[in-house]
Amino acid sequence: MALFEIENLTYFYPESDAPALENINLRIEEGELLLIAGGSGSGKSSLARLLAGLIPGFYGGKLAGRVLFRGKKLSELGPRLLNTQVGIVFQDPEQQLVMTTVEAEIAFGLENLGLPQGEMFRRLSEVMSFLGLTSLKQEFTANLSGGQKQKVALAAVLAMNPRVLILDEPTSQLDPLAADEFFHLVERLNKEMGYTVVLIEQRLERCFHLADRLAVMEKGKILRSGPVKEVARWEVENSLPFIPPVAKFFATLRIPSLPLTVKEGRKELKRLYSGLPALRKDQPRHHHLLPVQETRQGPGVVELKNVWFTYPNGKEALKGVTLRVNKGEFAVVIGENAAGKSTLLKQMVGILKPGRGRVLVMGKDTRTLSLPELARHVGYLAQNPNTCLFQDTVEEELRFILDNLGLEDGGMIDAVLKKLGIIQYRKTNPRDLSSGERQRVALAALLVAKPTLLILDEPTRGIDYRLKKDLGCFLAGLAKEGLTVVMVTHDMEFAAEYAERIIMMFDGRIVSDGSKHEVLGDSLFYAPQMTRLFKDFAEGVLTVREGIEKISANGDFGPCLATKGSL
Amino acid sequence: MLDRLFYEDKGVLLQNLHSVTILGYLAVLFALALLFSHPLYLAGIFLISALAVVTAEVLEKWEFYLKAGLWMALLIMVINPLVFHAGKTILWRSPTLPLLGNVSICLEAICYGAAMGIRLLAVLTIFCLAAAVVHPDKFLSLFSRFAYKSALVVSLATRMLPAAARDLANAREMLQLRGVDYGAGNLKERLKKYSWLLDLLLLSSLEGALQIAEAMQARAFGTGPRSCYRRELRRPRDLLCFTACCFALVFSCYAKAKGYGDYNYYPQLGVLVPHPASLILLGIILGSLALPLVLNWGWKHWPYLRSKI
Repeated sequence: MALFEIENLTYFYPESDAPALENINLRIEEGELLLIAGGSGSGKSSLARLLAGLIPGFYGGKLAGRVLFRGKKLSELGPRLLNTQVGIVFQDPEQQLVMTTVEAEIAFGLENLGLPQGEMFRRLSEVMSFLGLTSLKQEFTANLSGGQKQKVALAAVLAMNPRVLILDEPTSQLDPLAADEFFHLVERLNKEMGYTVVLIEQRLERCFHLADRLAVMEKGKILRSGPVKEVARWEVENSLPFIPPVAKFFATLRIPSLPLTVKEGRKELKRLYSGLPALRKDQPRHHHLLPVQETRQGPGVVELKNVWFTYPNGKEALKGVTLRVNKGEFAVVIGENAAGKSTLLKQMVGILKPGRGRVLVMGKDTRTLSLPELARHVGYLAQNPNTCLFQDTVEEELRFILDNLGLEDGGMIDAVLKKLGIIQYRKTNPRDLSSGERQRVALAALLVAKPTLLILDEPTRGIDYRLKKDLGCFLAGLAKEGLTVVMVTHDMEFAAEYAERIIMMFDGRIVSDGSKHEVLGDSLFYAPQMTRLFKDFAEGVLTVREGIEKISANGDFGPCLATKGSL
Repeated sequence: MLDRLFYEDKGVLLQNLHSVTILGYLAVLFALALLFSHPLYLAGIFLISALAVVTAEVLEKWEFYLKAGLWMALLIMVINPLVFHAGKTILWRSPTLPLLGNVSICLEAICYGAAMGIRLLAVLTIFCLAAAVVHPDKFLSLFSRFAYKSALVVSLATRMLPAAARDLANAREMLQLRGVDYGAGNLKERLKKYSWLLDLLLLSSLEGALQIAEAMQARAFGTGPRSCYRRELRRPRDLLCFTACCFALVFSCYAKAKGYGDYNYYPQLGVLVPHPASLILLGIILGSLALPLVLNWGWKHWPYLRSKI
């Protein structure tokens, strides 16, 4: 008997005419890890909520079909029994913690179940030991990092001893290191502890290989579900983007074994290249990437001259940063957490002013300009677009900035909305849109003022492959039209695909600055999957397209490509 | 800057007492600060509270409270003699002033004002101590046994405050980067600009509240009778400190009953030490209240004592 059986299920949210889930048929076996991929608004989160009993329990709405849990209708299980069988961890760690300290947070669910003191203490101690949270027992949840908060949320669910763990994009708000740590825990829970896991995720390159089965959703339907490799091949054949680079590369080459990890892939490449190439005489090489900005030509749109900055708490966040970004450049800033990336962006925008040194935007010192004055030249998109959307309609949102800056519409609103593909939402409340659409509205609200410099802080966080592709193409297009784009991201695949210049930061300093092939191609740990795959086999490979080109140039793989055009 | 006012773990004994004990200790200090009017007794309570602040290693927090408290105490000392003229020892009589007439400053009113100033400083110091040594979660946990829903609401609000403050700061910057100039325009226009901030905060809070409610339901909230997780242990130090508090309270009541805790400011200042027993009782009360502070010293410097309490 399957753990979960969903039969002919269709669901409508209250006051909605379009189904959020349509004719879903799915079986989830005990002990498996099911990965659910798909675009924003495809119904993944609705499916997660359905499995956790929150649909229709919390949301209401109309539901047809049935959901069985171990042969029994989900609606027939009492809420308390359901909560002890199915646990769910949500996307935003900030919005799922209830109590003020770690220990109280983990105990919250146990108290709700009415467990005796001894049992609560036993579970709490076991869970905290397993997840390494003991040292944080008395810590205030507000003081925890995003990764720690998500770990506490997982601990709070695990303490309730569920049979199934539903993880709804649990790493979308985390940095790569915290995300890796979280996935490592998920792997242990599934493989060593036997938990059944339903994982909804956008960072597929980090978890694709962990899954037993993959389900791809689109417009509320499950398009395909089955073994990961089988579905991955089907995705490539049907030009769907929800597949990480290594798997996409080998699926495109129609390699029967279809490696999913860099390790497996390198084995396959070794076979294709008939072994690892011999060490060349000119190895090892030493690159001198610093400083390169002096060699760059053209007028500087934003220029930092020996900028130092210290926060009031004494943390020195920037240490002598010198940088110039020219007109029409698409530059991406990378680096670990607390490397100074966001501080750098805030200096460019003028939110922060340098302690020493100067920041020039369009040749003017930011210390002499107020934020509203800078807004005429600089557009800044924060990580969370919700921080600036408050008007009743999308159109009013765009008109707001025009009115503040005293600019005429002159058809700009129409043009920008069309360009971003959101003209149909002109009269819609921005808060009613999906996260990807909200981001586009926030972007449109910046572009309508025709800035010369566009600054984005982690715009790819939590968005799906298709939206990333749209955003990347859009930003690259803007740069070609002459707009200067500077963004921070942890997403190396995105940087490899769309950026032209990479600035790597560490401990408040720029450690590397150059073209993406110079910086990422030689990076030890920031290299994208394809670069790691081709290391020692071929140089200059950052993307799947480049990998295919190298392979095609090397042998007879050209004719067997699945869908070269889709790359 | 407000962060400095909230609880911060310093690892001192006062933070490691059971919440009943520490709340009892603070309640006794507070009650005695209100109960006594004798200047020596009030000064003694202030001294103990100040020592407790030093012991709890929260001088920087105390500084914040004192800055406001000293001005208020000074104000009381200045206003009281101007308003009350019931004292017999006139120090200065003003010429006839418009509206006020003749104002006389008497020694008794100055002394009474000074005593009330000390009382105010003692009360503020006790509040500072409470904020520094009472873990909010333990405090709420204590009350959640009989007022669970109220404790939960307070917990949720406490947790959301820092997030709301951060959101507000972000929203302000984001609006400025969309051309909003808070300094420009008349009062009505500026108020409108600030109202946008509230709109943004309200929208984000409502969305956040919905997500929190969903997370709570997913963790069985409201599914039936609940239990209460007790996370605190009772140790010998709790017994010692609690006993000392009771001791201080009993002797204080005795002192009050005997009239040693009171003092006649008007019409003429009374005798400061009417009977040697009043000083002995004060010593016993302060000694009892100082016990947790002495234990704290032992806790830090004497591992043997630490292992025993």
